[in-house]
Amino acid sequence: MPATSTSPARLLTPLGGVGRSSMELFATVGGMGVLLWQVLTRTVRLRLDFDELLYNLEKMALRSIPLVAVTAVFAGGIMVIQAAPTVQRLGAHGLLGWGAGFGILREIGPLLCALMLSGRVGANNTAELGTMVVTEQVDALRALAIDPLSYLIVPRFLGIVLTLFLSIVFTDVLALLGAAVGGELILGVSTVTFYNGLTGGLLNASDVVHGVVKSVVFGVIIALTSCQFGITTSGGAPGVGRSVNAAVVMSATGIFLSDYLVSFAIS
Amino acid sequence: MPSAELLEEGAAPPRGPLRQLGALAIEQWRTWFDVYSVLVKTLYYCVKGVRVPGAVLHNAFEIGNRSLLFLSVVMGFLGMIFVYQTGLQNQRVVPDLSLLGATYLQLLVRELAPTITALMLATRVGAGIAAELGSMMVTEQIDALRMCAADPVDYLVKPRFLASLLMMAVLAMVSGSVAWGTGMLTAQVFFSVTPATFSNFTLLGIGDVVAAALKCLAFGAAVPIVSAQSGFNTFGGSEGVGWATTRAVVNSSLAVIVLDFFIGGACQLIFGG
Repeated sequence: MPATSTSPARLLTPLGGVGRSSMELFATVGGMGVLLWQVLTRTVRLRLDFDELLYNLEKMALRSIPLVAVTAVFAGGIMVIQAAPTVQRLGAHGLLGWGAGFGILREIGPLLCALMLSGRVGANNTAELGTMVVTEQVDALRALAIDPLSYLIVPRFLGIVLTLFLSIVFTDVLALLGAAVGGELILGVSTVTFYNGLTGGLLNASDVVHGVVKSVVFGVIIALTSCQFGITTSGGAPGVGRSVNAAVVMSATGIFLSDYLVSFAIS
Repeated sequence: MPSAELLEEGAAPPRGPLRQLGALAIEQWRTWFDVYSVLVKTLYYCVKGVRVPGAVLHNAFEIGNRSLLFLSVVMGFLGMIFVYQTGLQNQRVVPDLSLLGATYLQLLVRELAPTITALMLATRVGAGIAAELGSMMVTEQIDALRMCAADPVDYLVKPRFLASLLMMAVLAMVSGSVAWGTGMLTAQVFFSVTPATFSNFTLLGIGDVVAAALKCLAFGAAVPIVSAQSGFNTFGGSEGVGWATTRAVVNSSLAVIVLDFFIGGACQLIFGG
């Protein structure tokens, strides 16, 4: 980012700071746009390394199952605890299944799943790519006439998006299970009542699709930010730490922002 | 504990599902026992440690002021999403939206403000602490501290712990207020619920405030301790720092979710009646 190199004195003024951080933000978002285009064109032409894709899927999706499972079960329990005052006030035990199901399928499931995987998979990806960049392994790939995008970036990008897509199914099922058990233990709502509330007609497939679409969008955001911050790492080993930190913050912000936009766009 | 760590670094895992499960269980047990020992040490040094003037304030600035904008943006959007989704669903069941604000406020105080703030701090502050301590670990600065008979927990973890306890509560209040404001705006724009109707404090009970306070305390303590533990367990150069950062974010988010479940459940059983 040569445009942002200014004298130290100017950076100390508040206005200079605002300008510098906006320029950095624009540079990052622009870079992400370019990266998305490059990834999409290579995906459509199937110019990617399938062995790497399988390896990344194993590392990202398979190894995250315990984490996703624990998060989902507890998230279901938390939903029931939070729905408890409303349910008790209205005496509407039959509506617990609906309330928990709605919250889990549309909001909590995709959101928590994305936040956890952004920490595990996204941060990991940034750290790996960043280390490769600062140790000049990416340059070595270029020197061998191997396209780093097809070999490194596209498999990781698709791996993250697929991980999110597959995890949301686990999350939904396990969180609903956690909610049913939590309802039985904490509120004394039998699992049959819970199931009836869940399938009573107020919820339908569109709620599940809503969550899945969100999850895929979150996956694209996590993949883009983690790859972008990884490949623009500079400044040696401390630079890798800074990149990981910035990537995690950026993808969390992106997740909430797109959650809002997607909720509007498809409801 | 190199053997437990190596499993996570992608070294060849043990064969057989039962063995893998056992290895996972041992690894988790070691990690959380280690977290416990860091917590005990930190609490001990809070009482009997060396006081470095300004250390807590400096860390409070790092944790608090630097996260303020990020948290405000996140919680602002979260407030809009929740009011919009809740209102939409409420209309399907009961057409009356006059209690929207009261229900939302209760949910915000007892759940959303502490938990989402803590999850965001786990990513931002937790990753920062682990990266900092991790780089000190691989460059042997922490060993140097030990050589000088200064416990790194006392010098490095304690100020972050105290600052995080303080700033967690402050940030939860600030970001909760932001979310409440954006929620009020959404209710006015989409459901024509006036701010006067929305500002309904009748459902907010002592139980909710106690739950919020307990959660702030627990999350504020958990994030720096869990992150410091993964920072201290860094090995393997700059790549190791990346792994430590990841582990810190994952473990502290997990700790927040599990603590949230238990504190919420306990408060519900005690105050829910």
